[in-house]
Amino acid sequence: MHAPKVSFLPPDKIAVMRGKVLELLEQRGVQMEHPEVTRRLAKAGAAVDGDTSNVRFPAAFMEEVLARAPKRVELFGRDGAGRLEIPRPEGGFLLRTGTGAHGYLDPETGSYRKVTAVDAAAWARLADGLAEVDFCAFPFIDGVPVPSADLHGLMAVLGNTGKHAWIQPYTAESIEYLLNLAAAAAGGEQALRDSPRVSIVATALTPLSVKFIDLEVIRLASRFGVPVHACSLPSAAGTAPITMPATVLMAAAEILALLAAAQVMEPAVPVIATPLVFALDMRTGRGLQSSVEAMQGAAAAVQLMKQGFGLPTHTYGSGTDSPVADGQSMAERALLGLLTGLARADILGGAGQLEVATAISPVQLCIDDELAAMTRRLLRGLEVDEDTLAWDELSAVDPGGHFLATQHTLRHCREGFLPKLFTRLPRDAWETKGEGDLTARAHERCRALLSEPAPEPLPEDTRKEMAAIVAAADRRLAGTG
Amino acid sequence: MALDDIYDSILGFDAERTAELVRAELAAGTEVRAILDEALIAAMDEVGVQFSEGVLFVPEMLMAAMAMKGGLEILRPHLSASEAKPAGVVVIGTVKGDMHDIGKSLVGMMLEGSGFQVIDLGIDVPAERFLAAAEAHQADIVGLSALLTTTMPAMQATVTRLRERNAGPRIIVGGAPVNQDFAERIGADGYGEDAPGAVALARRLVADR
Ligand code: B12
Repeated sequence: MHAPKVSFLPPDKIAVMRGKVLELLEQRGVQMEHPEVTRRLAKAGAAVDGDTSNVRFPAAFMEEVLARAPKRVELFGRDGAGRLEIPRPEGGFLLRTGTGAHGYLDPETGSYRKVTAVDAAAWARLADGLAEVDFCAFPFIDGVPVPSADLHGLMAVLGNTGKHAWIQPYTAESIEYLLNLAAAAAGGEQALRDSPRVSIVATALTPLSVKFIDLEVIRLASRFGVPVHACSLPSAAGTAPITMPATVLMAAAEILALLAAAQVMEPAVPVIATPLVFALDMRTGRGLQSSVEAMQGAAAAVQLMKQGFGLPTHTYGSGTDSPVADGQSMAERALLGLLTGLARADILGGAGQLEVATAISPVQLCIDDELAAMTRRLLRGLEVDEDTLAWDELSAVDPGGHFLATQHTLRHCREGFLPKLFTRLPRDAWETKGEGDLTARAHERCRALLSEPAPEPLPEDTRKEMAAIVAAADRRLAGTG
Repeated sequence: MALDDIYDSILGFDAERTAELVRAELAAGTEVRAILDEALIAAMDEVGVQFSEGVLFVPEMLMAAMAMKGGLEILRPHLSASEAKPAGVVVIGTVKGDMHDIGKSLVGMMLEGSGFQVIDLGIDVPAERFLAAAEAHQADIVGLSALLTTTMPAMQATVTRLRERNAGPRIIVGGAPVNQDFAERIGADGYGEDAPGAVALARRLVADR
């Protein structure tokens, strides 16, 4: 089978950029604020400036880091089943839901409001029921103690889906609670280590620094054996140069610095390169995730991380700059998903998200599930062989003949992609059926999924243990509960 | 006319040329007030209009503002205290615990480009530093940025702390999770959705004083 690909960077430019990334790391370096991590980096051969905490990475050191970095990653579902391998066996991608959004487009009223704990639970249940979604992130829940809001988010995910969970901590203080919560859900730290049911994100403070919280994520993730999404979120023309090749280059340097930090803490911990590329609108300064330039940057960044550095790679494959799930939203996410899919990203994130990652919509999530199924199928590409060339059929066809009922057609007639939500009805039949447009049908699907019985709950003891961890976090982080 | 050249150099984002021409005008004995009003301020008014109409883009607007500022610095020794006065003094920063930088910086630069004197305290700024800077610079306005729900309480606390002073400055707030409703609830004087909105807001608040 020939796997289709897009290429924004030809091999010689990948080589040039790879060299420049290493040069930037060697000469400019990355500021890293975590005494333990910088001490270990220094011991391993990096040049740490004690006054500025700037860390410079000799190219030979970084090459060793890259050579040692795990190239394969295995993620698991909450119950230790549902193994997700990276790279994907068929070269496809894993699908992740949007993270951290505070706005919610209520599917029932259509109105915009803040995300509640009930919404977050529904979100996780939807993710559980949608076949194409592989792992679930939590939104920012309103109405719970703010300093421990991330714990309530993770609780909503672990309690309502058996799928892999992605952790985005909001403060340095909550990281250990979050990982303890994941360990409790797994039935202990060893079980979590053996089959990581959660993975966690550490982001650079663009440009070219990493703050304490994110190095603390790395320190604790390596202790718990939890895979790390090493993330850079550059905004072209803001925190990064305006030209995408430079933005991508800088993002790659930050990601490698995070990788090096992870490796000196624990060499075996898998690190997933996660460039999330933004670009500022030059008319207003607004940050965008689905502008043409941001999409090009995302595709180029995936190519550089995968082909240039051989790392498992994660980026946005969904999301829009529109505040509503309108036509713009559908078009932007379809373009972005296809592009980053064709760039061969291993994980595509942002399913269900709107308004530059600040809002989520359950209806949009259902549509994204369908889009992901289509994109996956597109990425499989075409097989060209004796059978698919149908030589015998072509040779035998008479003028005016057809292929409706040949053995060859019969053999292949069930292979085509069949959408669940997209309509193929002509006008009259569509009106008679009265099933509305794509959004209305997605809403129906959303309702149907939420009315199904909830996924198997965790054992009662486990739930109690988890509730105690969240309560302790409420008490100690927020002084409530 | 030479004043037109200054005007054009600002609209051409050519800071060096603006400085040269302003010096030349001063040397030629042109009235300082005329250079200020007819060249520098007139040019920035036009820049403002063109930016709001979408003709000028953000970096162009900012570079024009820097050219204008350079010219103003050359004029400053020749201006009376009231003429040299900025549109207002703004202390701006991202609140304690929050590292999001670029939105706040953009707001600060646009305010600066609109004639305000801006003191940017950076990110992760505790309430006490806002307070100290506001007093030290006799700020008309304090701008607070928060991009995280977790740091909105710090924004609230900063407003409370600033309000403890009588005759305190006006407070404006912004950032992705912040909205008009929250701004009112914490007792801020205004909410700005984006940088141009922040400029309009700051102008209104200063005019109201
Ligand atoms: C880039 C980014 C980062 C970068 C910031 C780099 C830097 N040097 O600034 C990094 C990677 C460091 C980062 C870190 C985190 N981030 Co962040 N980040 C973003 C992102 C994608 C874009 C922000 C941005 O730069 N926008 C572009 C600028 C130009 O726009 P702006 O900031 O909104 O500013 C405009 C207006 O808001 C307004 N404005 C802003 N300030 C002010 C002030 C005044 C006075 C006025 C009047 C107006 C005003 O005018 C500005 C110009 O038009 C947003 C998503 C989003 N859409 O906002 C998430 C986002 C804000 N981050 C989020 C989170 C959760 C985090 C982390 C906790 C995640 C983590 N564990 O790593 C950390 C927190 C670190 C910390 N303690 O601060 C969440 C917040 C969720 C919530 N409701 O709390 C968001 C929404 C993303 C998400 N869905 O998860 N982030």
